[in-house]
Amino acid sequence: MYKIYTRILCTLRDYIPKFLLIMKLITVILFAALMQVSAASFGQFLTLKERNVTLERMFREIRKQSGYDVLLSTNKIKSSTTINADFKNASIEEVMEKIIAHKDLSYTIEDKTILIRTKEKSVIDKVLDYFASIKINGKVRDKNGAPLPGVSVREKGVSNGVSTNDAGDYTITVKEGATLVFSYMGYKTREVTVSKEGLINVSLEEDAAQLREVNVVSTGYQTLDRKLFTGSASLVKADDAQRNGVPDISRMLEGQVAGVSVQNVSGTFGAAPKIRVRGATSLSGDNKPLWVVDGIILEDIVNISNDALSTGDANTLIGSSVAGLNPDDIESFNILKDAAATAMYGARAMNGVIVVTTKKGRQTSGAPKVSYTGNYTTYLKPTYNTFDILNSADQMSVLFELENKGYFQHTSASRGSEGGIFYKMYNELYNYDPKTDSFALRNDISSRNGFLQRYANANTDWFDVLFKNSLLQEHSVSINSGTENFQTYASTSYLHDSGQTIGNSVDRFTGNFRINFKMSPKLSGELLANGSVRNQKAPGTLERTSDPVYGKFSRDFDINPYSYALNTSRTMTAFDENGNREFFTRNFSPFNILHEIDNNYLNLGNIDFKVQGGLKYKIIPSLTYSVDGAYRFAKTERQHYMLENSNMVLAYRNVSDATTIGSNKYLYTDPDNPYGLPESVLPEGGFYNIKVDNLKNYYFRQNLEYDQTFAVNHRVNLFGSMEVRYIDRQAENFDGAGYQYENGGIVNPAYKYFKWGQESGFPYFGMSTGADRFAAFALRGAYSYKDKYSFNATTRYDGSNKMGKSTTARWLPTWNVSGAWNIDQENFWPKNDIFSSARVRATYGLVANIGNANNSAAVYYNQVTRRPYDNEKETATFISGLENSELTWEKLKEMNIGTDLTFFKDRINVTVDVYRRNIFDLIGDIKTSGIGGQFTKIANYADMKAHGIEFTIAGNAINHTDFKWRTQFNVAFNKNEITNLEVNPSIFRLVQADGGALVGHAQRGLYSVQFDGLDHDRGYPYYIDDEGKRNTYVNLQSNKIDYLKYEGPTDPTLTGGFYNQFRYKDFTVSALLTFAKGNVVRLDPIYQSTYSDIYAMSKDMLNRWVMPGDEQYTNIPALLDPFDSNQTIKDANGGTVSARYPYNLYNFSTERVAKGDFIRLKQISLGYNLPKSILSKLHMSNASLSLIGNNIALLYSDKRLNGQDPEFFGTGGVALPIPKQYTLSLKVGF
Amino acid sequence: MMKLNKLQILLLSAGCLISTASCKKYLDENPDNRTDINTVAKVAQLVTTAYPRYDYYYFTEGYSDNTEDKGSGVGSLDDVTTRPYNWQNVIGDGTGSTTSYWNGCYEGIAAANQALDAIEKNNFGNDVLPYKGEALVARAYAHFMLVTFFSKPYEINGANDSPGIPYVNVPETKVIQQYDRSTVKATYEKIEKDLTEGLALLSPSAYKVPKFHFTPAAAHAFASRFYLFKGEWQKVVDHATLTVAGNDFVNNLRPLNTTLRALGNEEFRIAFTRSDQKSSLLLTEQYSGWQRQTGPRYGYGEKLVAMFGRDGNFTGKPRADKILSYGNSNYTTYKFNEYFFKTSQGADIGFPYLIAPLLTVDESLMNRAEAYAELGQTDNALRDVNTFLSTKISGYNAGTDAATVAKITAYYAIANPKEAIIKLILESKKAEFLQEGLRWLDIVRRRLTVRHNVYDEAGRETFVELKPDDLRRVFQIPQEALLSGVPLNPR
Repeated sequence: MYKIYTRILCTLRDYIPKFLLIMKLITVILFAALMQVSAASFGQFLTLKERNVTLERMFREIRKQSGYDVLLSTNKIKSSTTINADFKNASIEEVMEKIIAHKDLSYTIEDKTILIRTKEKSVIDKVLDYFASIKINGKVRDKNGAPLPGVSVREKGVSNGVSTNDAGDYTITVKEGATLVFSYMGYKTREVTVSKEGLINVSLEEDAAQLREVNVVSTGYQTLDRKLFTGSASLVKADDAQRNGVPDISRMLEGQVAGVSVQNVSGTFGAAPKIRVRGATSLSGDNKPLWVVDGIILEDIVNISNDALSTGDANTLIGSSVAGLNPDDIESFNILKDAAATAMYGARAMNGVIVVTTKKGRQTSGAPKVSYTGNYTTYLKPTYNTFDILNSADQMSVLFELENKGYFQHTSASRGSEGGIFYKMYNELYNYDPKTDSFALRNDISSRNGFLQRYANANTDWFDVLFKNSLLQEHSVSINSGTENFQTYASTSYLHDSGQTIGNSVDRFTGNFRINFKMSPKLSGELLANGSVRNQKAPGTLERTSDPVYGKFSRDFDINPYSYALNTSRTMTAFDENGNREFFTRNFSPFNILHEIDNNYLNLGNIDFKVQGGLKYKIIPSLTYSVDGAYRFAKTERQHYMLENSNMVLAYRNVSDATTIGSNKYLYTDPDNPYGLPESVLPEGGFYNIKVDNLKNYYFRQNLEYDQTFAVNHRVNLFGSMEVRYIDRQAENFDGAGYQYENGGIVNPAYKYFKWGQESGFPYFGMSTGADRFAAFALRGAYSYKDKYSFNATTRYDGSNKMGKSTTARWLPTWNVSGAWNIDQENFWPKNDIFSSARVRATYGLVANIGNANNSAAVYYNQVTRRPYDNEKETATFISGLENSELTWEKLKEMNIGTDLTFFKDRINVTVDVYRRNIFDLIGDIKTSGIGGQFTKIANYADMKAHGIEFTIAGNAINHTDFKWRTQFNVAFNKNEITNLEVNPSIFRLVQADGGALVGHAQRGLYSVQFDGLDHDRGYPYYIDDEGKRNTYVNLQSNKIDYLKYEGPTDPTLTGGFYNQFRYKDFTVSALLTFAKGNVVRLDPIYQSTYSDIYAMSKDMLNRWVMPGDEQYTNIPALLDPFDSNQTIKDANGGTVSARYPYNLYNFSTERVAKGDFIRLKQISLGYNLPKSILSKLHMSNASLSLIGNNIALLYSDKRLNGQDPEFFGTGGVALPIPKQYTLSLKVGF
Repeated sequence: MMKLNKLQILLLSAGCLISTASCKKYLDENPDNRTDINTVAKVAQLVTTAYPRYDYYYFTEGYSDNTEDKGSGVGSLDDVTTRPYNWQNVIGDGTGSTTSYWNGCYEGIAAANQALDAIEKNNFGNDVLPYKGEALVARAYAHFMLVTFFSKPYEINGANDSPGIPYVNVPETKVIQQYDRSTVKATYEKIEKDLTEGLALLSPSAYKVPKFHFTPAAAHAFASRFYLFKGEWQKVVDHATLTVAGNDFVNNLRPLNTTLRALGNEEFRIAFTRSDQKSSLLLTEQYSGWQRQTGPRYGYGEKLVAMFGRDGNFTGKPRADKILSYGNSNYTTYKFNEYFFKTSQGADIGFPYLIAPLLTVDESLMNRAEAYAELGQTDNALRDVNTFLSTKISGYNAGTDAATVAKITAYYAIANPKEAIIKLILESKKAEFLQEGLRWLDIVRRRLTVRHNVYDEAGRETFVELKPDDLRRVFQIPQEALLSGVPLNPR
């Protein structure tokens, strides 16, 4: 350090031209077409708030902010000495005074260089030295016993002082009876009177009031002085957002930031919550924010749109791109919200950006600091109290009514594809035992009633059967150590979740290693490696399919425990009288949920590894070149095990009797033998299906940053960047039919399975690849004058291959201008303690996103022709999309005005942002004339507008030594409206729970078929049909939507959170509430024209229409008898309608809507820090214990929901609601 | 682009700054498994999709006299069968709608145009010519079917200045392109140009599965149909003659009264649209639910069955067709065997297809017969008709069952032999192609009046007629065509 600076000093004259030369060269090479460096002048004020800043960094900061170089010509001060900096617009003189305070040093400023040297001693000093009398030495420590280097130790009243060395030791010579003053920024000053020579050890206590947050903003590209940053961004420190017991970091954002909504559409590990920053911006796109981890954009392994997150399909398990991050490694989140903040992400910024910063090694003088975090979590089982599900006795009475009306008769009930207690009863009646010459059940009324009595009394608690209070453990160990030039952070964590239900479990390991190093004052860099391995088990599931004809989504063989518990009749039992698993019937085959979960499950394996490196080279103090690169490889494999005895396999094999053979859809009819009986294609073994998703990702970026202050008041920061992103995706699937689990995994290929596949065009394996290529150039200029005014302009030029081969569509420039005014820096601002500071920001700019269209040139795919016979098949190439020469990116123009206010000596912060967005060129379906050859095109044909307001108030309301209260309240309002959309959606699309898009309404609005009362004679429902007539039938495929009712948006318009933390001495209590308002929810589709004896029913059923006249009092339709179901109901034209239609419609009617408003007690925690006395005995530096409850209660929600979670879509598959859980968290540091 | 390592990317990105070419190359990588039309094989594959992938069966059969009202309460009601029977516009673009066929034709045309565009832009050499010919003929065929359904019928020697249909011969590159309907005459001229030009390039040996492509034979069959509409009788004769080698029609017709008759029902259904049926000249897989229409109220019922019986023709012998019913009077010809394209391992989820025989030897023979009749070559006409009937009538005996002028003028009570022969030809085709949609072509071409029966709820039967000049005989163009400046048909 020292030497280099001296040399520079000596060669200063030569240096200047050389520097200019380098400058020129670099400019020419890297910025030729991009930027012009403009001249500017100097300034000399400094702002930095940070603890334990090394002097070296202080000097760097001085150089950066003021343009002054600091040189040392003495070894009495070491650049590794740390101080706690708290400067706000301090002059250079003030800063230098602070640095050399109480040290035997002086400084001079010459020619933009500050030279620090040993103080020339005055005569008096020399005399005093002569009379120096006693010598004191000792060690200064913090309250945890760690040595404190750099503590100022001085003699009170005179200018005699030293500072402690790296080990915290000091030696000072003072007069007898003097008072020693120990001071250290961030700590309370202590005074000790000395009487004789000897040892005085001192420990200093932290003074929290002195410490304030680092005043910088990390955009992922740059770490910027907040003064130069003019956008709307919210910093969330991991410490403040801790969600112990919740292993996915995306949930740490719940309720933390105004304008960021986190909706838990599934609580299963690995499934991403639906995160929206400032609401939705696209009609067909993902609407997902961009995650940036340590400056590198995090790519999704599979791209699952926000809408698709709620399907419950198995791929949602890898939907969360951040599931491989260890929450303990996170330092902070920075959420970039408006166009000014996200401008650096240009054409990927439309949905906001979440910048994650992970922990770095710190300077510890080489001492390792070890910390351990352990979370031990247990789940609470859901209970029937919160749901309106009939108990077994009530359900039995409904079943009896159905039986009286003609259902559950022997012929149909004993041979159906699925059956519960009646099915069982009828089959028992015919279960003949030749030994005893009797039937298992006598066919008389009393025997039958006796048989059913057991089930009427069963009242099975399926939640108790399927859910567990099992343990989720997380262990995380991190080591952090560092010297001045080399800092390391290493961590590893292990998560084991035994699952809230049977059949679900997760193991996750993470490892993280990060080094920051400095080769020379000019060259520094970092190296990161992190990886995670996940092994997850979930109940087996197939993909959800939609059937628009009858208006249903369905999933074959769904065994989702939560759906099962909610939907399964409580009359059925999991165990028989002898305690053995009791089987009922599904798909013509025996079914018991516990047995099925044992025999049909998914194993998900995921390995994800990233290495990343960065180098920074300071060409001259004000000009820095940096380069970052990363490589990531992720491999995910989902293995679906369906064992020999699983229901699906048995269904494939079930040829037990003629009825079954006739109707079992899993059987195969050989076209070569058209008169043969349908046969099984799976004579042996089960299925072993594999789905693989691989990701390979390179990232490279180089930046050039110029930061200079001219003529004291003019600060300029120019930043140019270019980047390349390269992503290769690969998806594979393989259906292994006939894997014999019980015979050591042998496979006897069943040719008929392949024959069937070959004939029906269903291949047994597949592989597809995807390649995303991006390149971008960005330029950002920031200027601030006297810290009063700042201006910012950003432009970015993005290119991508995703839209296809057209060279015009693939490039898009985006831009942004913004400014800020720090009113409190004006002379007229009265310095006061109540209203401390005020700042106003404004921005206008364009950001964009790639939509879901890729046909800037015509798109062709290959296909095997869909013809029945092998000798007729050939490869065809079909047009998937005609060229759209007008294709462009989805764009958003935003105007944002915001203000940041602080009150009571910066204790309370208030931030308000108001924005208006014009979102245009949105990709949507448009029906064309068809003449070009593509009837429905995907094109930039929709527009939307949105506006919103965000408000946050946060701060340390009370900050006494023993009692502290920190509070944060945020609320955001966002409303969007589609202003242009040329698509004519069907009724079916609009009435779905996840909503549809229609001009004049929200991005996703919920629409209902209008209910129009029950029939007087029979009690079946009527609606207003698409022609406006009262009708029992509404064609769901109709595009005539004038008579649908708009219920409201499916996304809340108001969201927010309220967090409070109280700290009394070593005890902490905190609570987080989240709330949302303004959306509507489609209630679960539970109504059918008839009910099988295996499904649960709603308590609403008790209020159903029973006799004519009831329609005056109830809207719950009657149970119809089979005759009425098939022959009585007429449509408006007099045609007969099957009851299936009106009863299904009921689920999509105005009767089945509730408000989505809620207030949720998200987290409550009680913490205790172990006292020092215990810590020192255990050689610990800190230890704390907390008890945390997560997702404790829904304090308010619409009563009509009857226990249904307004955030959760019960879609089955792998989706589970977020559990209620209690966590014991232990944090220890050594 | 080859796989890149990190170093290469670094170099590339630096290169990106100085060279836009490398940047372009980097961004030229296809984002997914798509393909480019850059070889003859790809052109051939693309032209494979130049055929309409949706059927015209629902609306052509429904509009025509090949359907009947089976009675109130009989069969099922479904818009795609009910509305055509009542000569109403079919709503929406679902399976079986006029819009879906319109779209299917233009999709085929687009594939042809993209292929022709690729041929023009690349130097593929002479190997590509058969596929160029196929693209041209396929484009002509699709436009011909469109103009037949969506414009007023071509009047032989007429002005034909009523609106045609947009003739598309370049790929569309804008989201909403404006199109002009021009006139029926102009449309026919373009069809003829493509047909003639394409026919010359075709090769019988260019295809792996010839029955699904325009072989020369299939193209000649199409040409015979085209010139029949145009009234160029000699050309009909010439082209029809070229559909089979050596004028061997008898062995290339559907062997209804022999081979097919001998098959069991399920085997018959499989065999009928298989590519080894010699009669089939052009087969296309079409996304359809037609084969699932087991019992529409408006469909093939009791009245229509009669034409297959001994009283249905002049020979006094029944035709040899399969007469099957799904119960009540829900009859079916059982011609179509569904091909179910499965998309999920779990269950019966997928897409239903049928194989549609779009052009057959049977049709071209009858085209020739009609042309002979128009040319006044009565003997030739009768010979062709008799060849045809010899494969259709049960227990056909050439000696006793052959048609003669005397027999048929008497049978139809039509004195004019030409008219009687034409009547016989049309009736024979009606029976032959029941549930195959071709009847409608004859109805518009021959200006036949369609008569439908209607039962009210009390079981009373009335009749309604669709006269030759009724505007409803021209199917309605999709509403969305207005976006492209294409006017709808008057009603």
